[in-house]
Amino acid sequence: MIELKNDELLIQFPDVHEDAVCRVDFQRTLRIPDDNRDYPLPPGLGRFSVEHVEDHSSRLPAAWVERGGVLLPMYQAEALWINFSSGSSSRRSISYPFAVKIAAGKINAVTGDEWANGLAKDPQDYLVVPDQPWLDGFCVQKGLIRQFVAMPMGAGYTAEEQISGFAAHGGIQIIVYPMKRDRYEKLVNRTTPLFDPDICYSLADPCESVSMGLAPGGLMRQEIYEDKYGYDAWDTSRSSRCFIHILNSAQWEIVTGKSVPRKPPSAADYTKAALPWFEYYDEKLCPLSGAKSLAGLDSIGAKSVKLSEKPLSENAPIPEQKVIQINSPSHQIKEGNW
Amino acid sequence: MLHFGEHIRQAREALQEQDRTFSLRQVAARVGIEPAYLSKIERGIFQPPSEDVIVKLAGVLGEDKDVLLALAGKLSSDLQQIIIQRPKLFAELLRQLREVPDYAILRVVREVRDGQW
Repeated sequence: MIELKNDELLIQFPDVHEDAVCRVDFQRTLRIPDDNRDYPLPPGLGRFSVEHVEDHSSRLPAAWVERGGVLLPMYQAEALWINFSSGSSSRRSISYPFAVKIAAGKINAVTGDEWANGLAKDPQDYLVVPDQPWLDGFCVQKGLIRQFVAMPMGAGYTAEEQISGFAAHGGIQIIVYPMKRDRYEKLVNRTTPLFDPDICYSLADPCESVSMGLAPGGLMRQEIYEDKYGYDAWDTSRSSRCFIHILNSAQWEIVTGKSVPRKPPSAADYTKAALPWFEYYDEKLCPLSGAKSLAGLDSIGAKSVKLSEKPLSENAPIPEQKVIQINSPSHQIKEGNW
Repeated sequence: MLHFGEHIRQAREALQEQDRTFSLRQVAARVGIEPAYLSKIERGIFQPPSEDVIVKLAGVLGEDKDVLLALAGKLSSDLQQIIIQRPKLFAELLRQLREVPDYAILRVVREVRDGQW
């Protein structure tokens, strides 16, 4: 079951285990320059607002209502990253693992394959949460992604249009599978306890032009990790999935009656203000190789040249960034009593 | 069920074992009340504080605000508003849910609808 709470998708499997709670939210962020240099991780600038599609069904295209799910607003050429976390045992330092498959326009963000329910192990077409704390884009090669950047459907920029040749779906698709209960319990029992237990925008004319998809933007250093538990750890008989529609921010107020979010700062302005960028590596995990089909996509910058269209604004290289290294939770040093 | 003050004291002292900044004085300062007032609340000498203070305490101690409000015999103002807007409907709903087990209540929460795609 999936609930929407505080702009976060709360995906629960109470019949598998009480700890089996996966959280997914969508973070606003800077768009990194699309200049073929690789950049560190940009910051999270807060969650995108998210609404139930059915609450605004009279103002949305019929296809959106049929797909169900939720909608969020993005400006053209605005970037996004997806944030994951999961529930944990109250007495152990372990969080419930999930296999999470993410697609944009029904194109898998890890493999570049077209959408299919279910998990594939070779090549691995899913992320493992919480080992993978976030996803910022399409996995184009080992340790490198191309940032998720919103572009209007039909203009030819999105990964979906470049791979399938059609502007049919747009948005983001997600399906979540919990770890099998017995595998989780084994993990919990192997883990050191934290505490010793003995101690469209008009009513009359809803139309598809409001729809946005995700296109490959600038290059970013981010690893997508191999499944360390193995394919048979996942309970593939249980899953929850959600279609996340992306509505052009210009139509957000008309469709939802809620105020339009402010535009995020540019990467250059953010860096000029001496604000930090981030790097995250977990040396205990192996990164996946990128997908050839995704590596072959034109980035927005390259596509605009091919289409002889106006290049992206605010795309100048950012020469020096203040970068903060973030450790995976297993590497964090615990402060004791002293 | 624990009384409000007793629950707060146990939660705070459990945190203090791991982190000394959860002393009575420092928690009171973060919540914006006098340490003596917090001490009397914890010992049950004073009644539970206002909703605002309970919500701040929940934030500082990492507790669920609705659970703390319930222990204090209160209902958060946003829930009151929800009930006041449709009192008959929600009163009936809550009475019907009184005996329903937790897992069944979880099934009646509003889910994100999945359609054809």
